[in-house]
Amino acid sequence: MASSHSTHTEAAKMEQIITEFFPKSLQIILESRSPFMSSRNYSGEQMVSSSPSSSSSSPSSVRPRDKWFNLALRECPAALDLWRQSYLEPMIVDVILVQRPPGGWGPVNYSPQKEIVRSVSSKDPCPFYWNYDQEELGCEVKNEKIVERWVVQYEAGKSRDTGSGSRRHSNTLQICYKKSILLLRSLYATVRLLPAYKIFHDLNSSGQIPSYTLTHRVSSFLEPFTRKEDSEMQRFVFTPVDTSCGRLCLSVLYRSSLSDVSSESSTPMSSSQFIPDYVGSPLAEPLKRLPSLPVSHGSPSSLPFSRRHSWSYDLNKASPPSFCFSPSPTHLEKHGSISNPSSCRFGPMSLPPHPPELPSVLKKNTSFDEYYPSPNHTPSPSPSPPIYIPGSHLSKPHSRSESAPVSIPAVKHISSPLFSSKQNLPPSSPPLKATRSGNLKTDKSTGLVHAGATVEKLLSPGKGDMRKYSSLRTSNSSPQISFSRASSRPESFDKKDYQSYPLEPGGLLPAKKSQDAAVCALVDMLQKAPPLCQDFSGSVDLPPDSTSKMWSLQECNAISGAPVGPQANASGVASSGLVASKTTADAFEELQGYKEMMKDLLLSQAGRSNTSANWPPMSKPTSSSATGR
Amino acid sequence: MNCEVCQLKELEVEHFEIREVLRCILHTIVFHRALGLVRPKDIDLELFNITYVQCGDVELEKKIEEKIDEFISWVEKHPNKKSQICLSFYEMKNKHYSWFNKNERLYWEQWFVNLHVTHPKAHSGKSHNSKPMVDPEETGYEDRGVRREALEVSLRDVLFQIIKFVNEKKDHVPPINEKAICFPCEITIPSFVVVDFFAAFVQNYICIASFLFMKFFL
Repeated sequence: MASSHSTHTEAAKMEQIITEFFPKSLQIILESRSPFMSSRNYSGEQMVSSSPSSSSSSPSSVRPRDKWFNLALRECPAALDLWRQSYLEPMIVDVILVQRPPGGWGPVNYSPQKEIVRSVSSKDPCPFYWNYDQEELGCEVKNEKIVERWVVQYEAGKSRDTGSGSRRHSNTLQICYKKSILLLRSLYATVRLLPAYKIFHDLNSSGQIPSYTLTHRVSSFLEPFTRKEDSEMQRFVFTPVDTSCGRLCLSVLYRSSLSDVSSESSTPMSSSQFIPDYVGSPLAEPLKRLPSLPVSHGSPSSLPFSRRHSWSYDLNKASPPSFCFSPSPTHLEKHGSISNPSSCRFGPMSLPPHPPELPSVLKKNTSFDEYYPSPNHTPSPSPSPPIYIPGSHLSKPHSRSESAPVSIPAVKHISSPLFSSKQNLPPSSPPLKATRSGNLKTDKSTGLVHAGATVEKLLSPGKGDMRKYSSLRTSNSSPQISFSRASSRPESFDKKDYQSYPLEPGGLLPAKKSQDAAVCALVDMLQKAPPLCQDFSGSVDLPPDSTSKMWSLQECNAISGAPVGPQANASGVASSGLVASKTTADAFEELQGYKEMMKDLLLSQAGRSNTSANWPPMSKPTSSSATGR
Repeated sequence: MNCEVCQLKELEVEHFEIREVLRCILHTIVFHRALGLVRPKDIDLELFNITYVQCGDVELEKKIEEKIDEFISWVEKHPNKKSQICLSFYEMKNKHYSWFNKNERLYWEQWFVNLHVTHPKAHSGKSHNSKPMVDPEETGYEDRGVRREALEVSLRDVLFQIIKFVNEKKDHVPPINEKAICFPCEITIPSFVVVDFFAAFVQNYICIASFLFMKFFL
């Protein structure tokens, strides 16, 4: 074919140009279509250092192709060797979008070496080459769609004069070469303007695991499109380059809109890609999530060219949650219960519109562990279930205990105005408060009536009490667990129960939840009313009709003029109708136990004389109750 | 020599979009006229979903940036006007017969980039948000997004227009000079258009006059 001699004929040169045109155009196409042949990371400074002259280089040489057509591309062995056919055969490059069903699209598939090796190894014998993806995903061929078909061909003229080396022909040769350069320049620019480039770009730029990829197929025969496919394609025909004996033709059929192909993929992937799973998942809480979800799920790419669509989409209409939550479903799918800081961060944004879900959401705020499994527990987001299901559910508190370090500060923060301002309690240390509610919680869940013992055990692990405790009820609930579990209680109580409780007098919420809340409210109320303790001490043994007792307590509060805030009153009223008697009685006792413990602690702190002065009246009933059990 | 002219479709841009739009268009044109050995650079626009190609010539890049700066400062002085940037390619012809001009520019191609720079405040119909134009990030309003999308489509159209023109008109492109990456070009922005043409006219006139003078008296 082309000799490397400097005096070879014009025709041979022309032939060489034509021959080189094919791999060059193929390389240009694949460089911006095949995810691993990209030149995007290639710095422009790396100009070809050693570039043999274009005319003298034989087509089989590997190096000097950059020089050809004055277009330096990345050295890409796969592309260089992909096309070794005669230029008389057309070269058809199909760019295929392969969509992966949601599941495991491992990043393992993305090893460029693999592709290159296969392409090279399969280069010679086959007239066409299947990309590795094609092979590997052969079982899922249904998800393939040809998004572009490039056709490069040389249309030979009727009379191919091969011999005449006139001056006119040499001129023609230069012009032809110049025009082919121009053609390849415009090909280079066009490839980046077509819609498929957006997919390629996203594949390359996104760090996420995509649900699709681009692959290609190079062949020398046209695999006809179906009529439907054909109707979906647009054609762009580059002006052919006339040579002395024919013309170089280049055209592309492309899908003008990839919205149907990659409605998910056209956006920065994961946002819309995973939302269906997200929504459809039984783990999702339909109430809480994203009112705007259907929109974002709908048609993310209504415009043909919209690589940044989700961005502008967010800009336009999406609510913050839909954006913020979009990444997290990936994590939800992949790592179910692994904590996800990002979703933690976004959690609060979903809070405002959904007051009924607040308690669970509040807890979810603290860690993703809780966020994730909570939908299952939504009916009883508050930790009362252990009351009814003693043994099996004790693992749950374990998981929640992980959130203790996070939620305790919240307790601290919230409790300080509530407790220390309304009561004469000294500014007690936050752990103490957490412990207080923790004890309450534990006792309630274990059904213990003897609050004092538990309290003592928790703070100063008494040996006998420990035994008693374990023998009485569920033995394996460790103090730490109850501590952490309950630590989230005041938070939900303070934030939510005060507000939402009056709204649910008819028992709209499950009884369990309201019980807990009521207990918390009640306990709080009681603690703020020191004079009550005398009455209360006697009421421990009362039968479970504590509702009436609570009313009496409330009245006592009012009568005694104890510093009970209006909120406390309201919550007390609301809770009184809902609280199960047993629980309330437990709470009373727990409260007393706690008070005793508190008193001891406070008294031990010698520095607080003025506050401890308030406590002596309390000490009597609590101690009596503790000893009287 | 025939000088091909390409009038690109007018784009309605806001002030902060001028730079990217011009970069994209000018570099795309220049890339098609940089027929020397180039290693192309892909550039993603920040405001739009568009990737364009630079030819990688630093000098050219600098030149384009300077001209864009000039244009922007001109726009600030002449707000709300339709304006035209002309990118002209020429060849240098040595004129040995002239004492005055050693070189003459022979223009063989001119691209006219038509921009209509709008200001959001002035266009109540377009953007009633009346946000200052300097903060594209904060204007998350819907009509802005829609407008931006429309501009992106238009810009893409313009790029295709360039490609089509390049494809259709190849005969007038001079032979490749292997020494230079790109054909010599100049970018003229509105304020200098008149002056430049005038200067060119004067130059030509002097050239012709001197030529005639020499012919007659020598």
